Amino acid sequence: MKMADSQKIEAPRETVWAALNDPQVLKQCIPGCEELEMTDGNQMQAKVKLKVGPVKATFGGKVTLEDLNPPESYRIVGEGSGGVAGFAKGGAVVRLEEDGPDATILHYDVDAQVGGKIAQLGGRLIDSTAKRLAGEFFKTFGEVVAPSSENTEAAESTDGAEEPAKKGWLSGVFSKKDEKPADTDA
Amino acid sequence: MNDMTPTREQREAALEGMGCKRKRVEDIRFTQGKGKYVDDIKLPGMLHGDFVRSPYAHAKVTKIDATEALKLPGVIAVLTAEDLKGVNLAWMPTLAGDVQMVLADGKVLYQNQEVAFVVAEDRYIADDAVQLVEVEYEELPVLVDPFKSLDPDAPVLRPDLDGKMEGAHGPRKHHNHIFNWSVGEEEATDKAFAEADVTVKEMISYHRTHPSPLETCQCLASMDKVTGQLTVYGTFQAPHVVRTVASLLSTIPEHKIHVIAPDVGGGFGNKVGVYPGYVCAIVASIVTGLPVKWVEDRMENLSTTSFARDYHMTTEIAAKKDGTVTALKVHVLGDHGGFDACADPSKWPAGFFNIVTGSYDFPVAHLSVDGVYTNKAPGGVAYRCSFRVTEAAYCIERGMDVLAQKLGMDPADLRLKNFIQPEQFPYNSALGWEYDSGDYPTAMHKAMDAIDYRGLREEQKAKQEAFKRGETREIMGIGVSFFTEIVGAGPSKNCDILGVAMFDSAEIRIHPTGSVISRMGTKSQGQGHETTWAQIIATEIGIPASDITVEEGDTDTAPYGLGTYGSRSTPVAGAAIALAARKIRNKAQMIAAHMLEVSEYDLDWDVDGFQVKGNPERRKSMKEIAWAAYHAPPAGIEPGLEAVSYYDPPNMTYPFGAYFCVMDIDVDTGVAKTRRFYALDDCGTRINPMIIEGQVHGGLTEAFAIAMGQEISYDAMGNVQGASFMDFFLPTAVETPHWETDFTVTPSPHHPIGAKGVGESPNVGGVPAFSNAVNDAFGFLGATHIQMPHDAWRLWKVAKDLGAHG
Repeated sequence: MKMADSQKIEAPRETVWAALNDPQVLKQCIPGCEELEMTDGNQMQAKVKLKVGPVKATFGGKVTLEDLNPPESYRIVGEGSGGVAGFAKGGAVVRLEEDGPDATILHYDVDAQVGGKIAQLGGRLIDSTAKRLAGEFFKTFGEVVAPSSENTEAAESTDGAEEPAKKGWLSGVFSKKDEKPADTDA
Repeated sequence: MNDMTPTREQREAALEGMGCKRKRVEDIRFTQGKGKYVDDIKLPGMLHGDFVRSPYAHAKVTKIDATEALKLPGVIAVLTAEDLKGVNLAWMPTLAGDVQMVLADGKVLYQNQEVAFVVAEDRYIADDAVQLVEVEYEELPVLVDPFKSLDPDAPVLRPDLDGKMEGAHGPRKHHNHIFNWSVGEEEATDKAFAEADVTVKEMISYHRTHPSPLETCQCLASMDKVTGQLTVYGTFQAPHVVRTVASLLSTIPEHKIHVIAPDVGGGFGNKVGVYPGYVCAIVASIVTGLPVKWVEDRMENLSTTSFARDYHMTTEIAAKKDGTVTALKVHVLGDHGGFDACADPSKWPAGFFNIVTGSYDFPVAHLSVDGVYTNKAPGGVAYRCSFRVTEAAYCIERGMDVLAQKLGMDPADLRLKNFIQPEQFPYNSALGWEYDSGDYPTAMHKAMDAIDYRGLREEQKAKQEAFKRGETREIMGIGVSFFTEIVGAGPSKNCDILGVAMFDSAEIRIHPTGSVISRMGTKSQGQGHETTWAQIIATEIGIPASDITVEEGDTDTAPYGLGTYGSRSTPVAGAAIALAARKIRNKAQMIAAHMLEVSEYDLDWDVDGFQVKGNPERRKSMKEIAWAAYHAPPAGIEPGLEAVSYYDPPNMTYPFGAYFCVMDIDVDTGVAKTRRFYALDDCGTRINPMIIEGQVHGGLTEAFAIAMGQEISYDAMGNVQGASFMDFFLPTAVETPHWETDFTVTPSPHHPIGAKGVGESPNVGGVPAFSNAVNDAFGFLGATHIQMPHDAWRLWKVAKDLGAHG
């Protein structure tokens, strides 16, 4: 699975960079994250609850920050196992671009692989799920980093506008109840 | 009184014998939800098993820790390969001469492979405990593409075979090579190719799919430690073979093993093999002394128990300018997955694929099949076909169309030109079969007239012109398929399963009041044996079918048989039934002669009894004879009236048919609509035309599914992509086209009632008809061969690649 996108955040680049390196912020922003602890240097131990299609599992694994180039870019790589639900591994190159003194554009380029039941059963839902998770992450991240900003809403709506078109009726059926309802003509 | 005496016709009709559209008697319970399947059986104290499965397609298993699982209340045991080694069952033999892990022994070879077996008090606890078993894996490079399996640097999948360069079917040439099987005359074939006016070559793939019966594989094993008796209820297509295999594996004497196949909810080849679930349930029952049930879920069924097909067939045909074929050359690369668990007769590693010369008079041919290992589930069963026969039919029927296109000849005319002619039967094919009977031209002409073939071609031509002028975005295809099957395995001289000859059997007992119980070595999974077997007996011994009970699947009561698959029930067991019935009739004749005080040679058989020659008023009905057999048996004749017959067929049978598919495809959406599908089948003598029609409808629906979308594919990591009904196409009434059926009758000359078997013909002939229709539609845009499955996305892409989207 590959996914690349960018996101504008109403905060200076240093602030965004600091937040990106703060386990507390990351824990708050990663959807379903139950634990995230710095274990040593650039390594973290994480526990994330994920639901892809009908498969729900808690993934435990290592997250490492590599190729650190503050305050511009890093590579975040991880490997996690969800037991019988399967496994996920992959990474993302994150790059911060200044957009004037008070705003930053965050570029991300994800390359991930999943295996096991989530890949079999949720296979066709993985892309849309990943997009949704990324959307949730940046919505929260924007709110945490720039609490007063109105731009996060715009960011959210951009993300949201794309979603209904790409979402099949099945992913609607299996999506969380608190989300907007699936197309009723399905 | 005389007016009340039924006429001969009335007596005949009352029998509901062969040729009668008798309603299926089993449907009375099926339609009321009263069928009894394995999962309906509940024994006191029964435990439930569930598997821990590998998320990886290829990995070392470095650690299995069941500590947490065993702490869960209700969990009784967690079996691993180490436990099975104690009873020498960590591995088991396959039907194809290979060995297969029952539970992962140090490594896994495909995703969802069985790693540990959890036994618990109920299924929910077992499932929860599965999640608590911690397994550590060390990933290995994954081999998914069979064409890369024999590369020098391909990963070694089977270290257990290290150094064993002699396999069950001859020498192996690479660590991932299973066998090479070659038939025919290579030199003569090459010579014919060198001298040919025209040659064609195409790599025709028949993708991996799955039989997907509605009832998944399951069993219930119960070991009685007091009597030493093991009872196994299971979804078995071949219960007797399961008993023999269970005895050989467990060393429990065969008479102490009782195998029962109750109602089976569809098999289609999926329920022929022996699976790790069966072995684990049996071992768990032996260990615990309690009954243990194992029931697959849908994902487990689709991803682990016996896929079908996955044959990649490089096909070459040589011909004269006028279209006369002169030679056929086929090389098959067979993707067998992690273990060779093909369900074929022992000596046939590629089944009866050498039927690939089809319905055509090829003077010479050569076939070479290489089987290889990949990181995919094992299997290779005959999904509603005789062993690898649907692959062969697809190969030659696509191949003939490819040749027709190159020659600029009509595909139906090319077939008519090359048919084996009626007077050539019995016909010896270039690849070694003796076809029993056939009249191909008659069937083909009947079919072409029925659908107005020439008219359709005119219409297609007009539509192609209109498409080129931009007046329509729809293209039309006419799929022609003329298949010859080989079914009814088989003669003991060349067919066995694990050394047991592939005969079949029937036992018929007439009760004193003239009703009947009969038992066979076959096992219906929906074919309607309870209905049709009674019809054969009814016609042979003159007792109404409604007075005949048919019972199958219980190894303690039924005579030994090799089971139901490969359309073998009617050709083999059907013959045994007729012959057992004739033994009874012969004895009945002697009793009737005594009762009528004439010589038995002075009697004629007449519908439902014997009558004195020249004096038909003097007669004894079968019911009267049955009573006499128990009440006052003649001196010198044993009381009772029953017989057993074991039938070793002298030859296979060769059903055939002409199928036509008319399809319209929207090039902008890729959506294909089947406008007409006409299927003419010749299965020899027709026992129950309604059941035949039902079989053809079902088989065509499966053919439609396979050709138009059903697939088990894998991504580069070895993730199985078709493991649920979200992805695996199972057509419902909504998608399924309307079927038109028709027939001709060319009886088998060597079969006691002339029947050939029909259950699988529609799948064998249907797949090429659909695929040829798709290819025929795109041909004028420049396509030569489009691989299956032909789902809308792929057809849209084909149209795009051919420039049809402008």
